[in-house]
Amino acid sequence: MKIEGSHVFNGPREAVWEMFYDPNVLTSALPGAQKVEQVSENEYKFDMNVRVGPVSGAFSGGMTLEDAVEPEKVTIKGGGKGAPGFLDGVGNVRFVEQDDGTTLMEYDGEVNIGGALASVGQRMIDSVSKSMIKTGFATLDKALAARLAAKETGEEVKFEAPTETEFAKEVAKDMVGGVTSSAEVKLVLYIVPLILILVLLSFLFGR
Amino acid sequence: MAEKNVQKSLKRNEDPRLLVGKTTFIDDIDLPGMLHVAIKRSDYSHGRIVKLDVEEARKLPGVVAIYTAEDLGDYWRPGPLQVPPPTAIKGSVFHARPLECIAKNKVRFSGEPVAVVVAESRYIAEDALDHIILDVETLDYVGDLEKAIEPGAALIHEDLDSNLAADVVQEVGSWEKAVAEADLVVKRRLEVNRVAGGAMENRGFVAQWDENLQVLNCWATTQGPIPMRNSIANYLGLMENQVRLMNPAIGGGFGPKIMSSQIDDVVIPWIAIKLKRPVKWFEDRRENFLGTTSERDQVHYAEIALKKDGTILGVKDVMYHNTGAYNPYGMTVPLNTQTHTVSNYRVPNFFTEIKMVFTNQMVVTPVRGAGRSQGVFVMERLLDAAAKELGMDVVEIRRKNILSPEEFPLRTGVIGQDFVEGVLDNGNYPAALEKTVETIGYEKFKSEIQPKLRAEGKNVGIGICMFTEGTAVGPYEGAKVMVGVTGKVTVFTAYSNQGQGHYTTFAQVAADQLGVNVKDINVVIGDTGQWQWGVGAFASRGMTLVGTAIHNASLKVRQKALGLASKVLNTPEDELEMQDGVVRVADMPEKFVTLGELAQRSNPTRGTVEEGMEPGLEAASYYGPPHGATGYGCLGMIISVDAETAKPKIERLVMTDDCGTPVNPMIVDGQLHGGLQMGIGEAFYENLVYDDYGQLLSASFMDYLFPQASDMPDKFEINHMVTPSPLNPLGIKGVGEAGVIATPACFMQALEDALNIKGMEIVESSISPSKLYHYMEKAKSA
Repeated sequence: MKIEGSHVFNGPREAVWEMFYDPNVLTSALPGAQKVEQVSENEYKFDMNVRVGPVSGAFSGGMTLEDAVEPEKVTIKGGGKGAPGFLDGVGNVRFVEQDDGTTLMEYDGEVNIGGALASVGQRMIDSVSKSMIKTGFATLDKALAARLAAKETGEEVKFEAPTETEFAKEVAKDMVGGVTSSAEVKLVLYIVPLILILVLLSFLFGR
Repeated sequence: MAEKNVQKSLKRNEDPRLLVGKTTFIDDIDLPGMLHVAIKRSDYSHGRIVKLDVEEARKLPGVVAIYTAEDLGDYWRPGPLQVPPPTAIKGSVFHARPLECIAKNKVRFSGEPVAVVVAESRYIAEDALDHIILDVETLDYVGDLEKAIEPGAALIHEDLDSNLAADVVQEVGSWEKAVAEADLVVKRRLEVNRVAGGAMENRGFVAQWDENLQVLNCWATTQGPIPMRNSIANYLGLMENQVRLMNPAIGGGFGPKIMSSQIDDVVIPWIAIKLKRPVKWFEDRRENFLGTTSERDQVHYAEIALKKDGTILGVKDVMYHNTGAYNPYGMTVPLNTQTHTVSNYRVPNFFTEIKMVFTNQMVVTPVRGAGRSQGVFVMERLLDAAAKELGMDVVEIRRKNILSPEEFPLRTGVIGQDFVEGVLDNGNYPAALEKTVETIGYEKFKSEIQPKLRAEGKNVGIGICMFTEGTAVGPYEGAKVMVGVTGKVTVFTAYSNQGQGHYTTFAQVAADQLGVNVKDINVVIGDTGQWQWGVGAFASRGMTLVGTAIHNASLKVRQKALGLASKVLNTPEDELEMQDGVVRVADMPEKFVTLGELAQRSNPTRGTVEEGMEPGLEAASYYGPPHGATGYGCLGMIISVDAETAKPKIERLVMTDDCGTPVNPMIVDGQLHGGLQMGIGEAFYENLVYDDYGQLLSASFMDYLFPQASDMPDKFEINHMVTPSPLNPLGIKGVGEAGVIATPACFMQALEDALNIKGMEIVESSISPSKLYHYMEKAKSA
């Protein structure tokens, strides 16, 4: 399936780029990520727990980064598999400076999801992913604000990532209320590709 | 004259034990030391196996063994074809690619087995699946039936030139001639969706090797105990009698359980012998969607040539038929489509072509309706389209072309699933049409009710569709009838019962000849240790074939009993009658001998016997028809549609059906109700959906919708007609599939009539509110 989406970060491109240097920030936005390790310059391996509706389990995979132009864009190819199924995908991420000083993050790609994730999880995947993306970006927005504030005052960054439980609570709330549309979502968005992209980004910037 | 049991709605012998839960289903079987199997299935739809690592899984405590195709060694081989190629049809092309029990080198559909885990419990076995690593080099997914056979498509079987699995053309008369003479040719592209059998109980298999007797005991949910037993014996190099295959109680079949040479019956017996421990596998629901065969999925390019007055001159149909990744079941399904396309009507010129296509999807084998629904859908939709073009009434165009009773028996010129030319044995098709039209009040609805409803802004429409149901095909079935020393009777068959009521209907047939109470007749079904000749439950053939064999065997037993009683009672045979479990002198009821005593006497244990004497008050018989018996009927539906939500509601459903002699009318009604429910499901709820990569998206009951009781019309209004088939002594025809066949066609016809939007024509057999809404919007904006 094709994926496409965007998000506006309330800060300059460099600050956004820099934020991704901090793996703690990203893992906080990505509950379930267990371990990420760099295998070679442009190659990573990760382990994470995936839960989509009744489908859950350990998931491990790898990815490579191609055509990175700091701090503008990068192409990510990767995939993973585990008990819940598998994922193969390619994604392009771009950061665009906006006139109002904000940064537009755009991403698009194509993802193939298989196994129980597809055959059982698919009916949940859409709403779960929309909600997780919403909550994930909200966390990143807060993290960015905290970083910018700290920069201004020269103080230490005051940001506490939400716990996995808090995160799950937010997602559950959305599930009950029904996330019908989200400003960030242009087309169909899926959680796994997003996680893939964000995990990749965290390590692209974390190098 | 004794009171007859056939044609009576007797309550079912099997129901008390089913209702109180005293029946053993396969998952109830628990043997000492039994091991449990879980199957690792490929998540990928098409790819070369690069790595299959089971080492980590083997280490899990409680795991006893894990087998891959490689571990099976020489035992691994693709199964035999379950149905032979259609060599009877001249010029037919068929590339046989039977099932592989476990994928070797390559996976060809998502859900294909790659390894078998054997563990002390099912929990452990399933946990172990997560530790098996399967790496594949993915290949392009092939799922589009038309693109699949275009040049350049990825090859599913790389030793073939293309993904074309078979090409079969049959022509009666000349389509070209029909076109030359026609005033009008109507063409349509029609799609039939894919549905699951969806039995309440999934598939299962238990195997136990008896080292002492050198016998393999198997319990299986199969619809074909004898073929499966033979297949197992052949795989293992055992004699047939060394494999005793038994059907426990089975919770529904609907077609897919006919399959053998799959992982369950090939690998599990092998494991049981190898490990010398009983082994059980029971499929879970997701696995059933992924790992059990399903059906429909055809694309038709159909044409009909007519005269201005609506007379049909010819029909042409070129169909793309999805067979999935393999074609173990030959061409049964698309041949059924060919034989059921024009079967209700006078069509002098008929061209029909099957292009059977391999895809990276689950294998296609019959599901209740089995090809018949598709043929009927094509023809009925063509007639509706033609009626619109000609400005004719949909009933009128059918009246004009329907076969008349005088034309039977009618040789159709089209070879069917039994590889002989189809013959429509008998019936009164116009009467079925008129009965439905009359019961549903078609004329009044069109002239008075519908205009009034339309004036009130209500969208209510009517549909009337014909169908035939080819049933009771060969080759044969057999049965043995035995009177025991208690005077009770056992009927032995190796058929298979999934809920059809055979424990009652088979007994009714025997009871009529033997004069015993139906409740005193025990029916043995699906135990190859007790009776070992037969074929299996498919094509609505059980009642006709097994029933006839039982009837004939009962007649022999009757003769034997009368002969023996004549000597005992010193009375000529023609003065004797059999009733109430005794043979008695007709006008001296106090002078009798019980059947039990006759049974005892027929097996003397001392003394001498006459030459040629055969012991036991028992006889066997076999029955194989020259061709199938054809049931038929007419379905009428009134459906209302909410214009805003596009949600339809079935207001009325009237069905007229003729299945020859109904052995038990209540059970016939049950079959019709079940079939109709399935047809409604097919038309509006059920859909197997694959994504662009060959992932089955509707592999749970959250997404694969079954119609509920509340989705059914308030009642099914059934008219029965009885035209006994000339093919068998009881005049029986099958009825198992009748309800499902015409439902999608009738549903779409009624929806179109309800909405009455110019140019709106539904060209697929499955609709949903959103799809219907799009049809409406598209037609409105055109």
